[in-house]
Amino acid sequence: MIEVEKMGKPAIPIVSGRFDSDAAASSRAFGMPDLQWVVVPRIYRNLPIDDCVKQTEDAINDIVKKLTSNGSAKPVEAPKIEPHERFQGADRFEAAMRMNDEFMKRDLGDGFPLLPATREAVDALLKGTKLPKDHVVCDMPPGFGIATVEKIAINAALAGAKPEHMPVIIAAVKGLSQIGGQGGKSLLMSTSPQAPLLVVNGPIAQQLGLNPRAALGPGKDNQVNIVIGRAFYLCMKNIGYWYPNQMDMDTIGTTRKFVMCVAENEAMSPWEPFHVDKGFKRTDSTISIFVTDGELDVQDQGNTTAEGLLKNLAYGISFGTYNIQGKGGGGERLIFMPPDVAKPIGDQEFSKQAAREFIHKHASISLGKAIQYMPLKGEARVAERWRFLEGLTEEQRIQIQVPVLKSEEDCYIVVVGADRAKTAVFPSGPAPVTVGIDQFRP
Amino acid sequence: MVVLEVLNPVAPQRGTANALKPNPRPKTLDNKTVGLVWSGTHGGDVALKRAGEMLQQRFKGVKVNFYTGGNYPTPPNVLKQAGAESDVVIGATAD
Repeated sequence: MIEVEKMGKPAIPIVSGRFDSDAAASSRAFGMPDLQWVVVPRIYRNLPIDDCVKQTEDAINDIVKKLTSNGSAKPVEAPKIEPHERFQGADRFEAAMRMNDEFMKRDLGDGFPLLPATREAVDALLKGTKLPKDHVVCDMPPGFGIATVEKIAINAALAGAKPEHMPVIIAAVKGLSQIGGQGGKSLLMSTSPQAPLLVVNGPIAQQLGLNPRAALGPGKDNQVNIVIGRAFYLCMKNIGYWYPNQMDMDTIGTTRKFVMCVAENEAMSPWEPFHVDKGFKRTDSTISIFVTDGELDVQDQGNTTAEGLLKNLAYGISFGTYNIQGKGGGGERLIFMPPDVAKPIGDQEFSKQAAREFIHKHASISLGKAIQYMPLKGEARVAERWRFLEGLTEEQRIQIQVPVLKSEEDCYIVVVGADRAKTAVFPSGPAPVTVGIDQFRP
Repeated sequence: MVVLEVLNPVAPQRGTANALKPNPRPKTLDNKTVGLVWSGTHGGDVALKRAGEMLQQRFKGVKVNFYTGGNYPTPPNVLKQAGAESDVVIGATAD
């Protein structure tokens, strides 16, 4: 509605109760803090028709008021951002605990204790990049906070990052802003649990000690994976305004929002690394930002042929929903393929591209089952070419098989993992972005 | 007593740095054209159509136009058309 207001016409959205805070945060983020809106108690989407009508009738006086009264609601104040904050305690530990209490109250962290971002700590981190501290890396989605190098360093300090991590964190922040439509803004704000996942390639991975094996869990092996991911998450929150119940409207949420950063296991891959697929040199260091929407372990209990291993994977990625809106079609899959799966496939003369084509060819799902999430009747989002489905029975729709992926290009293979043929599959999208890290090194 | 000074991790937003004000409202909706913009999701159309009906009952000469791009976010061309053809606009995403 802000776009309509920008055209010179009064405009109001009707929003549901839980989304009142989202409307306030979004109106600030998108440039009209005093935008007017009308709140109804419940989300329309799954309400019976009579209830939709009733709660609209109850809101009509407010609709009229917001369309005919200037300044009919109290202007939304932007939070004041002080450059420094001071906390007192009997000793430094107590002062740090008070800082944590206050930051927790304001939801500036991830729930774990934060390290104090003192001037000294931040200055040390700023030495990890050649960029000046006031350099603007991007406007960070979804809330488009201004991502200066210093603000990135402050959040990195809270996470416990080291100066040598800074180029990776800066590249990740930059990369997010380049994903899909406005940095995947709508996805990040969605009620579904989309979350970024970071993959580092090139020499810097080993230099920093990023774990390319069992890379996604807690523990000492993954200390660097965790710290860089945490720093990036805190940037998303305090620079990108990805605050829960404001611009992150998850219904249930996901542990993937404790963002992790992994390295590709290049040493044990039979193929060129992921960043080489994206046009970088093997000696370049890069970070790739994926947006994932779930996670599934695809186990293999004894296949040894490339075809057997790949069919198992193709069948394993065959789940989820199918998009019958707009151009629509299949989805995307990020595949973390362990060496025990990748190596025999590569050794049997399957290139990575051939493996992707094989997976695409063999991965299909029942259309009827994959569109059950969206009843066809009364749904304007269904594209014209799929309208014929309304004339079929449920059984007929279930019999139609469609490919899981739009094309083999939407299957991203990254070799990650320890010994054992257990593959991690993530529904993902929009397409990942890969950013060079070396440009940000001192 | 120890004082710990830390830097604020929160960044200013581009949107608040360049904030715009909403447009002045008409005093009445009499003889106005109301644009209803639907994101295509269940229930939002019901809400908007009922709101349009009630505005027509309450004010004289209200014309109602219904717009949808069939998806969220509403495509720019649909918003542009709604803005151009309406005096005021109501939107619903069903969330």
